[in-house]
This record gives sequence, C-alpha cells and structure tokens, in this order.
Amino acid sequence: MGTNIDISNPGLAIKSWVELYTDKMFTWAFYKTSHKEVAEDLVQDTFVVAYESIHKFEGKSDPQTWLFSILKNKIAAHYRRVYQQPIINESEYKSNNKDSLSIFFDEIGNWRKEQEPKDWKTDEGELLDDSAFVKVLGLCMGKLPANWEAAIKLKFLEEKKGEEICQELEITTTNFWQILHRAKLNLRKCLELNWFKK
Amino acid sequence: MLSCKKTTELIEKKSFVGLSYKEEIQLRLHTCICDSCTNYKKQSVILDNIVHHLIHSDNQKDLTMNNILKEKIIQSISKK
Repeated sequence: MGTNIDISNPGLAIKSWVELYTDKMFTWAFYKTSHKEVAEDLVQDTFVVAYESIHKFEGKSDPQTWLFSILKNKIAAHYRRVYQQPIINESEYKSNNKDSLSIFFDEIGNWRKEQEPKDWKTDEGELLDDSAFVKVLGLCMGKLPANWEAAIKLKFLEEKKGEEICQELEITTTNFWQILHRAKLNLRKCLELNWFKK
Repeated sequence: MLSCKKTTELIEKKSFVGLSYKEEIQLRLHTCICDSCTNYKKQSVILDNIVHHLIHSDNQKDLTMNNILKEKIIQSISKK
C-alpha cells in the first residue's frame, strides 16, 4: 500500500492533477498536433480516462509520468485516425525541412546577401521596456507555424535543461532543437524587417 | 571552416543542449571572422532572454486560457 493519493476520493486527486498538469499537457499536445481544439480534447479525454482507471495508478509512478503515458496513447490514436498510419514523428519534422532554410543560406551554406543579420545596436533591457516592441514580437511569434511557436514555449516554460525536457517527453533532442533553429531564424528575420529597419 | 548555416545551428544547439569542446572552438573560429554570424549570435541570445522573460510574465494570460479548459475538465469529471 502506502499510496500518496486518497483513492476513497479520486475526484479530489484528479482535480489537483488538473490544476498541476493541464498547462504542461496542453502545451505538449498542442506541440504534437498543432491544433488548439484537438489538443484541448485530448487533454480532457486523458483526465477522464485517468479518473476512470485511477485504481490502476496506485501511486507507483509519479502522476505526471502516468498522465503523459495516457496522453501519448491518445495522441497516437488521434494520428492513426487522421492519417491512417502509425505515429508521425520524423516525417512531420521533415515537412519543416531543408527547403525552409534555403531562403536564408545558399548552396554552400553562407548567408545570402540580403539575409545577412545587421547589427541591432540595442540590448534586451531597452527592448523589454518598449511595449511597442513586445507587441511586434508577439505578432512575429504568431506568424510562426503552430508547432514552432509551441516548441519555443516548451523550451521556456520548463526551467530544466533541454536534454531533460526531451527525455521526459520522449522526443529526440536533435529534432526539437532543429525546430527551434528554424523558428529562431524566422523570428529574428521578422523582427529585423518589422522593427529594426525603421 | 563551418558554414554560416552550420554556425547558426550550433548557436541554437548551444542554448538548448550545450556544445562539445570541438563545436565550441569551431563556433568561435567562425564568428571571429564573420560579422553576420556574430550579429546573429548576439540577437539569438537577446531573443532567448526576452522570450524567456515574456513567457513567464505572460503566464497570467496563458493561465486564463487554460483555466477555462481546466474548469471544463473538472465539470466533465464531476458528471461521472
């Protein structure tokens, strides 16, 4: 025995888990599916399943791990339904493939002349204080593909190191930081065009 | 010598998982002679710090959105 949760009141246990883990689970599901409504439904379904099968939990592992394993199964089932094939992992990342980098770099891998980053002549203190800049940043982030934006948010929501995040969520580190790479290139470009070239 | 493309990859990799000793040297050698990548590196760090700051102070707004989801979940469980 020696469980941490009170099985006689599973509703209370689940409610505390909803408070603790929804943000992380939603961000993760959104990252995997790129659709807000789908992500919300998957998270909700996960908690319903958790509630119904809470007797199986028994406090053996940490609740987050258990909830995420349910969520991952739900996401896999979602992909099977939608795409009629096993979980997409590598291929969905490949759709954000090398072609999107050829905008920035030539065949040898040098910056194209018109893409070369200019000196912004500023520091983050100045920029953070400027609410107009923050607004432009928000707009530029909104322009990114949904999973790129989510990748950036995942990176910064967790205080842990990148490797730990990837281990915990069972994704390849390489894929994840490649998405961050593309996102950063585009974000920087958007800001240079819309803010620093004035 | 690294290409600029590879250099920008390493700059992001550094902030995410860190670099090996060899990669660190390669990065420094390249940025020594490449103004564009030097600028990119500065700007990448600035953006990381700004986004980090904003996401944590922005949590108020995000929390509100997820609060609605949390309520919805709790409702659906209460009905069972």
